Amino acid sequence: MSDITDQNQNQKQKQKQNVPPLRAAAKTATRVPRPLTRPGGYGWVAGALLLLALPFYLDTFWLQAGLFAMAAAIGAIGLNLLTGSTGQLSMGHAFFLAVGAYGYTALAGDSEGRYTGLGLPTWLAALLAVVLTGLAGGLFSPIAGRLRGAYLGIATLALIVIGLHVIDNATDLTGGALGREVPALNLFGFGFDRSELLVAGVPFGSAEKLWYVGLALLLGCALFARGVLRGRPGRAMNAIRDHRIAAGVMGVPVARYRAAVFVLSSMYAGLAGVLLALVFQNVTPSQFGMVVSLQYLAMIVIGGLGSVGGAVVGAVFVSMLPQVLTRYSDALPLVATPGTGGVSPGEASAYLYGAAVVAVVLFLPGGLIRLVARRTTMSTSGEKR
Amino acid sequence: MSVLPPRTKATTKTTTKATTKATATALAALLALAGAAGCSSKASDAKDEGKDDAQGVRTGVGVTEKEITLGALTDMSGVYATLGKSVTQAQQLYVKQTNEAGGICGRQLKLTVRDHGYDPQKAVSAYTELEPKVLGYAQFIGSPFVAAVKKRNEDSKALIVPQAWSAALLGSEYIRVIGSTYDIETINAIDFLMKEKGVKKGDKIGHVYFEGDYGENALEGSRHMAKESGLSIVEQKIKPTDSDMSAQVAALKQAKVKAIVLSAGPAQAASLVGVAAASGLKVPIIGNNSAFAPQLLGTQAGPALEKMYFVASPSLPIGDAADGPSKLAADYAKAYPKDGLDNGVVAGWTAASTFGEALKTACKDKDLTREGVAKALRTMSAYDSGFGVQNYSEPKAPSSLESVILQPDKSAKGGATAVREAATSEAAQSFASD
Repeated sequence: MSDITDQNQNQKQKQKQNVPPLRAAAKTATRVPRPLTRPGGYGWVAGALLLLALPFYLDTFWLQAGLFAMAAAIGAIGLNLLTGSTGQLSMGHAFFLAVGAYGYTALAGDSEGRYTGLGLPTWLAALLAVVLTGLAGGLFSPIAGRLRGAYLGIATLALIVIGLHVIDNATDLTGGALGREVPALNLFGFGFDRSELLVAGVPFGSAEKLWYVGLALLLGCALFARGVLRGRPGRAMNAIRDHRIAAGVMGVPVARYRAAVFVLSSMYAGLAGVLLALVFQNVTPSQFGMVVSLQYLAMIVIGGLGSVGGAVVGAVFVSMLPQVLTRYSDALPLVATPGTGGVSPGEASAYLYGAAVVAVVLFLPGGLIRLVARRTTMSTSGEKR
Repeated sequence: MSVLPPRTKATTKTTTKATTKATATALAALLALAGAAGCSSKASDAKDEGKDDAQGVRTGVGVTEKEITLGALTDMSGVYATLGKSVTQAQQLYVKQTNEAGGICGRQLKLTVRDHGYDPQKAVSAYTELEPKVLGYAQFIGSPFVAAVKKRNEDSKALIVPQAWSAALLGSEYIRVIGSTYDIETINAIDFLMKEKGVKKGDKIGHVYFEGDYGENALEGSRHMAKESGLSIVEQKIKPTDSDMSAQVAALKQAKVKAIVLSAGPAQAASLVGVAAASGLKVPIIGNNSAFAPQLLGTQAGPALEKMYFVASPSLPIGDAADGPSKLAADYAKAYPKDGLDNGVVAGWTAASTFGEALKTACKDKDLTREGVAKALRTMSAYDSGFGVQNYSEPKAPSSLESVILQPDKSAKGGATAVREAATSEAAQSFASD
């Protein structure tokens, strides 16, 4: 028995040494953000302080955009575990977001009028919504465990179609096309609702209060994912991605791992859905279409496949850019005022968004995270030019 | 078993050292921050509601000495791009004309347009962005998004005029739908079929409708009418992505319907009417106002549309000979010579001029705050923007129960002429008073 495990280990180590140079480079790249903590412990602290202080200074618009980005980041971390680290493609991420968002709404909402709800305490509802999404992922896991790559992508497409159909028709739970109001989060008597609360002279509405919830959730999710990726499961996941058969030979239960990662990834999506619902204060089917799934894929590709930081950077980029471009649409170059026949602000921001995505994919094949990583390696080795 | 190399003591030590130092800095900075927060611009941003200007007019958010800023949350790059463009241009025309005539309350109007492309996140964030800057929203396309901001808008009290006619949007003092809602419109449409197109008690009529609030609200109307007048409804639910209506026509033909109601988009109207005419199902077909666009007349279905299709609309068509429509048509064509005339122009103009009238009334009452404007609108119980009389006194009821029945007509401006003047059917009256 121990001989076999020894052999396994030997093989694993051999496999590790035999990884092609490109992959190895990518791996070091994903590790690189770590040195950032050492020379620049202050950098992290300053960043954290800045994030904590933002609600005191920023407009609700920016806070809300930031919260959308945080929710997207949580979802993207989950998808990156599945797609970036395990090599499984999922087009059904929006479906799990929807399960989380609607799950929370139905569990926490009251049964009144045409709606059905359990009226649970909101923190419990949030927790159960995440568990529920995990269960939904689990139900799909016999399929997720057996299919690989693009095949799984096609199979998960079905989830979106089914999901939207159910949302449109189970109107007592979901509110149908016009959506349903989301009960505000309430933690131990503290309500994260719209009522204003003065903190150091600054009025705190729901966006300001939720900001801290979002930060805490994102931090927790990022640390957990990092732990998974750096430990045994992460190595097994990467082995499955890089060489499924070799991983199986080395004793990694491939199907079980795939299924488990799928469940974990859906739970991340579920939590993202809960946060999204809280920020929106209303859930509607148009938030969970196919385009959303594609956006999540864009996030992890743009940010950097396989790393937690990449997912976060990509999520911020993809979810903030359209909103910021819309906001400053009047000031964009080459934009005509509507009606004069030129490029309208909305179209211009769509073009810019597309161009930015193409530019990142072309010139930063490792994703935006490489930009950060490269700069740190340069500064640590003193190669600054 | 673990392959992870153990952390060396050295690194741990330096990290902890760095951490303690960092924590100290963090604490110091946090303290400084708590003090600084007091001077954040957000803190000094006291509510400016209830400031009186030189003329004694109370003003609030979105109103300065020289300007009144209104928001327009439109869709010029998404699914409702055509509608959004017409509505926005008509509103910009209104703003331009009003400013040339001296503005309102001694102030110039300004329309801040945000194109959300029918994306929920962009729509809600555009609403949030404009909320501290504008007095109200003269346009908001996308009923799911209007519903999404409904609750927070109760706090900010900004007047919103949505470009949607779902009855679910009624009930708020600050979200005011202009004209009859889809259910009322459908009742009036079926009333027209019964009074003028020979549909009688005991007949079957087909109803092809979109999944979602628009179609389902219309369906409530036809169900009510079926109960009132002893009709039976053959329901056909479709998705907005379905554009071939052959299956629906076949089913309705088999059910031997005497007429068809359509609550869908222009593409579905063209397909439904074209296929019905080709397969010999020669019955009158009537659509809600969103189920028609003048561009359809240029398609193969054009001749059939002119013969057997009707449209129920909350306002007079742009091609009507009355003063309001003909003036608007001329002005719009002059301002935007390249763009066609459609019902979006009427809808946008009506919304902007109603908002403008509310501002004028509020100015007379010396209260140009958000609440003042909403209150002023409630006093307008018989306002005619030139396209039909509207009563805004009751937020829970649609502002009008009337519908005009149009018939597509290639030779008319805007592609349609009125075949029945604005009228309220008895059934609509009884439905509204329920």
